Amino acid sequence: MTQPTNSADGSGGRSPWQVTRSVWYAMFMREAISRTMSDRMGWFWMIFEPLAFTMIMVAIRGFIRGDNLIVGAEFIPWMIVGIMGFFLIREGMMRGLGAVGANSALFAYRQVQPVDPVLVRNFLEGMLRTFVFLLFMVGAELLGVGLFPDGGMRAMLWWVSLWSLGLGLGLIVSVAGSLVAEVGIVVRMVNMPLLILSGVIFPLNHLPHWLLEYIMYNPIVHGLELLRAGFFEGYKVVHGTSATYFWMFTLATLALGLLMHVRFADRLKAK
Amino acid sequence: MIEINGLYKRYHNHHGSDWVLRDINLSIPKGVSVGLVGRNGAGKSTLLKLIAGMDTPERGEITRNCRVSWPIGLSGGFQGSMTGRQNVKFVARVHGSRYNVEEIIKRVQEFAEIGDAFDEPIKTYSSGMRARLNFGLSLAFDFDVYLSDEATAVGDRAFKAKASKAFKDKVGQASLIMVSHSEGILKELCQAGVYLKDGQATWFDDVNDAIAAYHEETDAARQANGNSSKPAKIEQGSDKEEVTIPEGLTLSQARQQLRQIKDEFDVAKAAFEQAKADDLIPRERKAYGDAFRDARDRLHEARRQVQALTRLRREP
Repeated sequence: MTQPTNSADGSGGRSPWQVTRSVWYAMFMREAISRTMSDRMGWFWMIFEPLAFTMIMVAIRGFIRGDNLIVGAEFIPWMIVGIMGFFLIREGMMRGLGAVGANSALFAYRQVQPVDPVLVRNFLEGMLRTFVFLLFMVGAELLGVGLFPDGGMRAMLWWVSLWSLGLGLGLIVSVAGSLVAEVGIVVRMVNMPLLILSGVIFPLNHLPHWLLEYIMYNPIVHGLELLRAGFFEGYKVVHGTSATYFWMFTLATLALGLLMHVRFADRLKAK
Repeated sequence: MIEINGLYKRYHNHHGSDWVLRDINLSIPKGVSVGLVGRNGAGKSTLLKLIAGMDTPERGEITRNCRVSWPIGLSGGFQGSMTGRQNVKFVARVHGSRYNVEEIIKRVQEFAEIGDAFDEPIKTYSSGMRARLNFGLSLAFDFDVYLSDEATAVGDRAFKAKASKAFKDKVGQASLIMVSHSEGILKELCQAGVYLKDGQATWFDDVNDAIAAYHEETDAARQANGNSSKPAKIEQGSDKEEVTIPEGLTLSQARQQLRQIKDEFDVAKAAFEQAKADDLIPRERKAYGDAFRDARDRLHEARRQVQALTRLRREP
């Protein structure tokens, strides 16, 4: 991720990969501290936010009724898995949005490229979310709610897949949002409807077919359904769920995001 | 050895952009310290940024066959919300595991001498403290070429002396490319000079020649602006009074004079108002009133001089 001229420079013969690795290390330490320590209650909110969210949703759904619409899974674990998966993508996207701007001062060091903070932040966010999810699993198990995945490997695979989608979206949004400020507003606006359209809170099974046809264009639905299928043995995914579609979409966003970073690196640094 | 070939640079904006740097060809030999001179906006900082690799040129290329620092100066390089220590750690880590992070922190702390502020967020720093930290940080690494963009401009005298001593100690191991408007420090630290004008760069083997060329330009500009060093009598339109400007009075001197007179005026005014408030008898009050009016007249005169000089400079 360094400029080609750098490889010719005799800075102790560090290869571009070595330079990039030390940048990532430095940035990871930096981001980790600011993410967890700078807010007074950083750690608390990281765990409490999804917890509170789940409890509110459970309370609302308690009134509405309709737990029986989900085939092959308990409602609460079903929703926790959905919320965690959705937050993983959403945070990947939102953290990417601010990543370039927040680190612009550091582009004074030519070793640091605009893509570095996005990658590092996404990695860090994923690690934190994974940790929080593990805590939830243990906590739920203690409360007698079965949240351990039935198919561990499949669950992990799809967790990482969702992570990748978050990274891809984060890469695109970080460039677009830095160059065109309005993109940031739109992305924040889309968050809430996306939560519902992705079938995080309400199961999509009972929607009419003509509507489902459109909703299934949203790759997050596919990812979340497949993640749930990994968690609950015998879970019946929404009709039309396709792993191929999800991965095509994810790879496309990753490629597009990286290309945008290559294309606009200079302009991002100059910002 | 830094080589610059056919370098073009411009900044894009919404209303057409002119070249900031146009066809720059330079080769800076190893171990030679260079001073960059030119007027504001001539492209000195831009050239420095390009050499540092912070920015990319539109055309042309820069070959750095040595370790080059980042531009040391006021702007950027630090994350405002993190403490000085955390920023130093970050930079040390970016520069690789060859450097011992703890040792670098110690060296920077010793050089910067900012005390407990080292553990405060950078955004609470004054510009002088930032400069100290940035400077100390760059010295902690073994660069072959240090880039300085007015790094010492905001420092106090002790810091300036320390900074130039630090650079002198590095002579032989490292060289310097510096932008500065203080000619003393350029003459002291640099051997060669580059003079930038209208996007073109001219190399001078002796920094004094570069400064001389720069002076020639500024003198010419001053000449064109009506040469304020001569005694001048300016007509300021029928409704304004004439101002006589004493010989050899420059704008900055006039400004300084104005400030001084303003202070005197404030004192006189306060005394006069105090006298009024104290209900002194008119005879006693008269002295304060005279002093006040006198100060006011002098203040107006000085203000007119400054205005006249400013106008002289702005429009020929």
